[in-house]
Amino acid sequence: MVNKSIEKYLLKVQKPAKYVGGELNSVVKNKDEVRIRFAFCFPDTYEVGMSHLGMKILYSLFNSKPHIWCERVFAPWIDMEEIMIKNHIPLYALESGDPLYCFDFIGFTLQYELSFTNVLNMLKLGNIPICTKDRQGLTNIVVAGGPCVCNAEPIADFIDIFFLGEGEEVDLEVMDLLEQCRAENTSRQEFLIRAAQIKGCYVPSLYDVSYNDDGTVKEITPLHGAPKKIQKRLMMNMDESYYPDNFVVPNTEIIHDRAMQEIFRGCIRGCRFCQAGFLYRPVREKSPEVIDHQCHTLCNNTGYDEVSLSSLSSSDYTQIVPLLTRLNEWSGKEKVSISLPSLRVDGFTDDIMSRIKTVRKSGLTFAPEAGSQRLRDAINKNVLQDELLNTCRVAFSGGWNRVKLYFMIGLPTEAEEDVLAIPELGQMVVNEYYNNPNKPKGKSVSVTLSASCFVPKPFTPFQWEPQDTIDVFHEKQKLIKSNVKSRKLTFNYHEAYTSFLEAVFARGDRKLCKVMQVACERGFHFDGWSECFDLQKWLELFEECGIDPAFYANRRRSFDEVLPWDHLDYGIKKDFLIKECKRAYESKTTPNCRQECSNCGAARFGGGICYETR
Amino acid sequence: MKPVRVWFTKDDECKYISHLDLNRVMSRALHKSRLNIWHTEGFNPHPFLTFALPLSLGFKGVKENMDIRLLDDDYDTQTVIDSLNACLPSGIRIYDITEPVMKPGDIAQGLFEVTLSDDETDCNILKQRFEDMIKQDQILVMKKTKKGIKQIDIKPHIIKYELCDGESFTFRMTLPAGSSVNINPVLFINAYNEKYDSDICYSITRLDIFDKDGNSFR
Repeated sequence: MVNKSIEKYLLKVQKPAKYVGGELNSVVKNKDEVRIRFAFCFPDTYEVGMSHLGMKILYSLFNSKPHIWCERVFAPWIDMEEIMIKNHIPLYALESGDPLYCFDFIGFTLQYELSFTNVLNMLKLGNIPICTKDRQGLTNIVVAGGPCVCNAEPIADFIDIFFLGEGEEVDLEVMDLLEQCRAENTSRQEFLIRAAQIKGCYVPSLYDVSYNDDGTVKEITPLHGAPKKIQKRLMMNMDESYYPDNFVVPNTEIIHDRAMQEIFRGCIRGCRFCQAGFLYRPVREKSPEVIDHQCHTLCNNTGYDEVSLSSLSSSDYTQIVPLLTRLNEWSGKEKVSISLPSLRVDGFTDDIMSRIKTVRKSGLTFAPEAGSQRLRDAINKNVLQDELLNTCRVAFSGGWNRVKLYFMIGLPTEAEEDVLAIPELGQMVVNEYYNNPNKPKGKSVSVTLSASCFVPKPFTPFQWEPQDTIDVFHEKQKLIKSNVKSRKLTFNYHEAYTSFLEAVFARGDRKLCKVMQVACERGFHFDGWSECFDLQKWLELFEECGIDPAFYANRRRSFDEVLPWDHLDYGIKKDFLIKECKRAYESKTTPNCRQECSNCGAARFGGGICYETR
Repeated sequence: MKPVRVWFTKDDECKYISHLDLNRVMSRALHKSRLNIWHTEGFNPHPFLTFALPLSLGFKGVKENMDIRLLDDDYDTQTVIDSLNACLPSGIRIYDITEPVMKPGDIAQGLFEVTLSDDETDCNILKQRFEDMIKQDQILVMKKTKKGIKQIDIKPHIIKYELCDGESFTFRMTLPAGSSVNINPVLFINAYNEKYDSDICYSITRLDIFDKDGNSFR
């Protein structure tokens, strides 16, 4: 609904369609007929947030309950934000146009650390006190879910309840609890104390954190009977798990403007840098029949002519070929194209290629992550050089001539020769093209090497590792640049400054809350966007607050240090992570979950790949 | 194969759908509706659709049109209308399907209804200012063209205008529209803002489009 107070300003901002709602399939209910109003907030722009699958699942799930009305809220872009502040227009939800403070729940999804400032900024724009302790009564409960909850200590002072793991069940349980507490007329504090008893709920205000003299965490003490360890929630039966038969279809173009179909959760691989690979264990697949049905329904209801099969590593889906065969039965006829992102280097076979031919031949992207075989073994990427070259050969023979390769620099144990191996590998791919008799006729090859800066993350075997300093990153970038000799090779790299800040937040503790609060007061926002990010401002802020950011980003932790996230339990044993870290030092790989169980701890959940016969 | 002209209104939230995005919205709706329509025959076949004259972002449209080609010669108008409306956001409503009479190239004029409002300025003052402006020998504004920004005089381009009754200040203006000369009513508002150093709020509806003789586009 177009918010009346905003309408007259809409023509002064870019892409006003982002701020009005009214899309096909958006849900408008009568607010007098619902008991719980939930504002689902994505702390980034509309284009980014509307591309997020988790939000679509929960939006539809909540709205499938007659007593709940879930609406969407996105961070207004800077032009709109300026107008809203100037004209005292509070941040509002798209469906009703009502300000944030009208909602029972204000729920954020934390997908990346650099959106933390946007979370606080959105609360501020919505006229909601940013600190937990300043909010009163049984309303405006601020909750958050998503991967960054695994260490959201830097925003612990501002969120009432964090949800660990998958939200399909726990969110609804907490909404029920609020209704019950209202009926009993309890205090907000009592509600939070009871919420902490629900599995998967982390109420940060019920934990006291003490520190050692050196600034590391001494102890994390639960209060008011809150559990010592908070366990994540997850859906064990993917076939029976809720999946939307409908998406809100945006009226303006978004990043991923297509239908999305989840095919499995988790990842068998255990790449040692990858947080998702550990947080979402164990692997749980949907059956091809269910995927096929859900996919077809979704395309029918949205009108999208493209659907992407979503997972952490699509080619690891055990029944990928039968699935694609099924989908092809209707997709061609109905002019729907199937896209398969997140393909592994070793998963791009002739068989798969021939079945996704309907997709535009734009370019192929693979992620070897490291240049040398030694380093790929150390990070447990389990991709062999021959496999990569072989895959490129298949792709070139199939008519592709553009390949993009993703790498990371600053990985633990990385030496100069590993960095130099990146342009060398790129050159080998170029040579592979020219040595291929079946290459596309009369076309030149283009290989893009893209290097991001490694950020050590909690719940990975590298959670104890220091991040390279910005200077070291710059040296490594220069080294690669000066060794790219062919004009067929392009080298891109991510700016190290944002990765540094990301590393600070990723493994930060509650002492950073103070920094966050001042950042919010000063209007910091969109740190993930180059238009807004300014490291200098952050460094000044850290200094004012007496915080050394290098303590979080560049310090090596010992295995026996209490980590700020030690009270959270994602099912992965710390011993396993230590063992994996030590294997990395020896450049030893670990078999994937499908080959062999390495006893990570996820079998505790009682399902998924841990119980499949190998 | 039957070329048809689809007539629709564009209002509420859908006023803010840009022309490029409208293409996508219509294309998806046609796909979803499963209407048997002609697709382009290139490498990526997509529903063929074309708009006679794009509507500016933020304008309400009460008589917009889009041409498509139905593969069934024997179609039922109401069925086509209903199946498309079921697949469109509520701000876009199809109300008729006709056989095209004129060519989009015939379009020469557009009729706009403009409502101005300004928290600080009384309606009667707005009216007075409007009349002062229109009486000028020249109304000079900066217009963005393909060759850059240049100054033009829009006074000779105002084909007709009339003031409307009502609580807010509203006028109707007929301006050149189409492929050769196109004058956007926002230019007139820009001229107003320039002259009175204001930042006035406006809402604009395109009521109709005509050929060079003033016949309504069919």
